Amino acid sequence: MSLRTRRTWSLLGLLTAPSAFLLCFFLCPLVLMLIYSFLTPGLYGGVEWEFFHLNYGRILGWADTKYERFDPVFLIIFLRSLRLAALTVLTCLVISYPAAFWISRMPPARRNFALFLVTLPFFVSLIVRLFAWVLILRPTGFLNQGLMGVGLTSEPLEFLYTDFAVVVGMTYVFIPFTFLPLYASIEKLDTAQIEASFDLGATRVQTFGKVILPATLPGIAAGAVITFIPALGNFIVPSVLGGAKVVMIGNLIEQQFLSARNWPFGSALAMLVMAAVLVLLIVQLRLARRQDVP
Amino acid sequence: MYRAMIGPGHSACPGSSSESTLMPAPLEITAASKSFRTPEGGTITALDDVSFGLDGAEFVTLLGPSGCGKTTLLRTISGFEALDHGTIRLEGQDVTDWPSHKRPVNTVFQSYALFTHMPVSRNVGYALEIAGADKATIRRRVGEMLELVGLAGLENRRISQLSGGQKQRVALARALAGRPKLLLLDEPLSALDKNLRQKMQHELKSLQRELGIGFIFVTHDQGEALTMSDRIAVLAHGRIQQLGTPQALYRRPANLFTADFLGDSNLIPLVVAEGRGILPDGQSFTLNGAPRAGTLMLRPEDLTRTRRGEAGLTFKGVVAARYYSGKDFQIELDCPGTGRLLAVLRDDGAVPDTGAELTLHSATDALHVIEEVQP
Repeated sequence: MSLRTRRTWSLLGLLTAPSAFLLCFFLCPLVLMLIYSFLTPGLYGGVEWEFFHLNYGRILGWADTKYERFDPVFLIIFLRSLRLAALTVLTCLVISYPAAFWISRMPPARRNFALFLVTLPFFVSLIVRLFAWVLILRPTGFLNQGLMGVGLTSEPLEFLYTDFAVVVGMTYVFIPFTFLPLYASIEKLDTAQIEASFDLGATRVQTFGKVILPATLPGIAAGAVITFIPALGNFIVPSVLGGAKVVMIGNLIEQQFLSARNWPFGSALAMLVMAAVLVLLIVQLRLARRQDVP
Repeated sequence: MYRAMIGPGHSACPGSSSESTLMPAPLEITAASKSFRTPEGGTITALDDVSFGLDGAEFVTLLGPSGCGKTTLLRTISGFEALDHGTIRLEGQDVTDWPSHKRPVNTVFQSYALFTHMPVSRNVGYALEIAGADKATIRRRVGEMLELVGLAGLENRRISQLSGGQKQRVALARALAGRPKLLLLDEPLSALDKNLRQKMQHELKSLQRELGIGFIFVTHDQGEALTMSDRIAVLAHGRIQQLGTPQALYRRPANLFTADFLGDSNLIPLVVAEGRGILPDGQSFTLNGAPRAGTLMLRPEDLTRTRRGEAGLTFKGVVAARYYSGKDFQIELDCPGTGRLLAVLRDDGAVPDTGAELTLHSATDALHVIEEVQP
């Protein structure tokens, strides 16, 4: 056997296991969901194998039969999810960027410790951490007591079960996802480039706008996308911190599968999320291709 | 010239008469000191009371081993490091407290520090873009600069598509595009291979003459310094050891450090008695001036097999090693009393091999005495 064919075979061998795994547990369920979204919901849950387009009609507007009616609430929830996910990405970026810059310029020993601290929340259960936020945000919680204590407010404010609480919670949960790709690209930035910019007459603000920001744009894009996708479909944070008031698309899908037992409609909603993510990924891919590879 | 043609009354070029009036020196550093704190809590003195300047559009090299303070000195001129004490003047103006973006000097960085997310044209035009020049002006200037460094037509290349030598030239064009009063170069040639480095040395030198501005070049490569410089400042331990023309530094080093750092040299301890310097083997020669003790410096190429002129020194010994380098041989000669001497002899087909006896002479005018005793 020649070296070249050996290489090919060993490559195939190594790729078989992950490919099989992805095929069974990612691609197949996804195709199943896609098919389900075009089937008729069964009367007592499950599906009937008959083509049905009103699952999408209920969301997008053409369903007007007696049982299947268009309701704008689904689109409203979807748009709210997009907005909250985008807000989460924005706050994550605003918090992560200076932190990543600062940590990347630390001496190595301290830098590794700081990076460890960033990933530390992963070691504690998500549910525990979210209920800690309930304790902080509820009317008698730390935040309200603190605000009243220093005299900024006279009575407790509504934080819990608002958009604010959900964005705070999601920011808290997803910030390491934004931070790490951002850090990777900021750490690669050559300090000499910043000096060169000063040397050529640029102020700090000009240097940030013309050199630092563009050079770290791939990291910003990667961090934003990798945060936006799980934030858009998230249902744990809104169900703990948003309650019944702030429902996101993830909660709706969960409801359709577990409570309403309308799998085809749940699948159709899930496909809506998929479509949004796909559009986002295509845009990011285009942007990444335009960027210079250093 | 052009003015003189259209203006019948003007016999002389405007401005030529003011040439003779006192122009302030392009750069003047007075009593500069700078020390750094180490992470372990100690301090390192990078610059120790350094005074230094450029008299005109000179090519001055800061030469020294790593850690001698040469890069720190350059970085205080560009404004990246602040001085603890002392002043820096550019064309008479005190810029000691100016931030780097206000100083009319530009730097070519050792790593080039090109903006990798911009094409060549935006890199070269960066200073003008920042200064708010219009697009046509920038485009014209970028074209001129790329022409100057021999990269005409590469405006739209990405930085990642350039070779090391091309990056070097782009960095040079970028630093010159904003018409700096002074160009600072921080070991810019160290990443290039030998042939390209030699070519760039010559180009940099002629570029400096063409532009008529001061260049300050930092290097640890003594060959580079000798080739390019109008003057060399040898630095060690945060101090300028000697400042002078390459010939002066090579022929008449002021101290042992300079003698040792610039080129190869034989350093022989002297005993001084009655105005004469006495070598360990008993030979002596007349001293100019009256040092109390000293060291004799002999360059290897000043040792010859034939006696030249009258009353020189003679060294008799056994060849300990012989290395061939193309046009000549390097000889290590073991001389009883004097020790091991280094000599360079032309390959005339009769250079003795290892183990052979050899007598070498040096003329009186090649002898240089350093008033410093080797530890």
